[in-house]
Amino acid sequence: MPILKYENLNNVVTTHLLTKHYGRIKAVDELTFSIPEKSIFGLLGPNGSGKTTTLAILLDVVRPTSGSYSWFGNYSKRENRQKIGSILETPSFYPYLTATDNLKIIAEIKAIGYENINEVLKITGIFDRRHSTYRTYSLGMKQRLALAAALLCDPPVMILDEPTNGLDPRGIAEIRNLIRTIALQGKTIILASHLLDEVQKVCSHFAVLNKGRLLYSGLVNEVAGNEQRIEISCGNMDQLYNVLGNYPDKRDLEISGDKVIITLPADSPIAQLSSFIYQHGIIPTHLVSLYRSLETQFLDILNESK
Amino acid sequence: MNRLVKLEWLKIRSNATFWVLVGLHVGIVLLVVLSGNIFISSLSIDGNSLKNLADTTNIPIYQFPDIWHNITYVAGFLKFILAIYMIISITNEVTFDTLRQNIMNGLTRVDFIISKLVLILMLAAGSTLFIFVTGFTVGLINTDHPGLHEMITYSGFIPAYFLQLFTYLIFAFLIGLLIKRTGLAMGLMFLYTLIIEPIIALRLNADVVKGLLPMRSINNLIHMPFGTYLLREIQDYVSFREIVIVLIYTALFIFLIYILLKNRDLK
Repeated sequence: MPILKYENLNNVVTTHLLTKHYGRIKAVDELTFSIPEKSIFGLLGPNGSGKTTTLAILLDVVRPTSGSYSWFGNYSKRENRQKIGSILETPSFYPYLTATDNLKIIAEIKAIGYENINEVLKITGIFDRRHSTYRTYSLGMKQRLALAAALLCDPPVMILDEPTNGLDPRGIAEIRNLIRTIALQGKTIILASHLLDEVQKVCSHFAVLNKGRLLYSGLVNEVAGNEQRIEISCGNMDQLYNVLGNYPDKRDLEISGDKVIITLPADSPIAQLSSFIYQHGIIPTHLVSLYRSLETQFLDILNESK
Repeated sequence: MNRLVKLEWLKIRSNATFWVLVGLHVGIVLLVVLSGNIFISSLSIDGNSLKNLADTTNIPIYQFPDIWHNITYVAGFLKFILAIYMIISITNEVTFDTLRQNIMNGLTRVDFIISKLVLILMLAAGSTLFIFVTGFTVGLINTDHPGLHEMITYSGFIPAYFLQLFTYLIFAFLIGLLIKRTGLAMGLMFLYTLIIEPIIALRLNADVVKGLLPMRSINNLIHMPFGTYLLREIQDYVSFREIVIVLIYTALFIFLIYILLKNRDLK
């Protein structure tokens, strides 16, 4: 996955003080952010944090109370939306039409031909059922059709709101791989999710929303910070603990259950650590690098905001 | 524009509901039009059946030029069948969230309105053509040596029928967009057309004011023709004033649809 820096790139979309009130509830509250081109941008937040409303505003489905946004430096013109493939919450199609006919309708709206229809149906794995009406589809197949629809115009930008909702584990893995493959083609992907694991596995950038406010925005890799943690176990844990206590790069050492966790600077090579252990006659049975998970970071951000 | 026609065609092409209702419309219109004799036998003057007073076989309901006025008047009652489809078409777009998805994919709200107006235009034009062909055929069969003049007289009711249907379907569009739920929207449409407006009309005294009510003015485009067979005076033309009133309602309905959709959050 290409990791790209903010400063080198143009933004596909920027918002300025975007606000949406539903009566007294501020669903989106003065959001100002931008999404860099070619990033996989994870939009995180608990349920009801304003993720979907934000995306709905960007797609001209919901009218903002105030504030503005601009796609491709081109404001909110219709041509912008024709270049965006999007899924918002649940898949929405004409139930009495077949997959192919539903995609033809989208092709007409996007002012493109029908050439890509079979291809996107194959990519998403529902080609064999293309002549069945949408109402006969399982939830997983509906999600796949929604993804096929989003891919149809070979869009430079895709907006995916909870794209793995309702899929089985295999489907989830397939969709994630698909998203990575698409991202490698140089597309920008905006992925809203409350599954942090999903964002960590797929995204390059992320932003955290809560109660309609932007709490944090940054690179996923920066989450790990300047430290790395390594979990080790072996036959003789006491010996291991003592040996690691003398490791030159050690910053911290703790025992967690039947394992030892050592904290090192981010740039300290793991090969050096493992040869150090071997030299002291210890054969580790378990050696795993622990990332600081997005979940920990996410909870920290939410707690700081209180 | 061509794109929007194609879009709407894709939506209705394999929609069973659409074809069933169109078939019903055609079938019922034919049935009613061809039951004219039954209708004539039900005509009566002061309680005396017309059949007892005169030879009814010569009443020219199926002949040029009367056929134009008669068939468009009768078909006007059956416009609700197409209005039902119109409501279903709109409320489906709302409940399936396909209206929202259409906008997300790059349709503008104005495009959506135009695409539905295209559907209305197709329905109204199709039905008008059907009425024209039926009326012409029936007229030819029943008129001995029809002259061109006879064929043309009263044929102005054909465009009047088109306008009547067009405006009524736009009214159905508005109701569907406003109510969002299929059953409720249909209920309200019938309630308004058959009960609410007639009650309002009853409470108004002047005919001039009554003629300004939306349903009344749409129906007024084609006045009841049959009085002529009972030797009463009828309005056997489409009045310019009534056309203007209907056109104003058409514009008003479209404007309301636009305002409604422009500010709506489709979520």
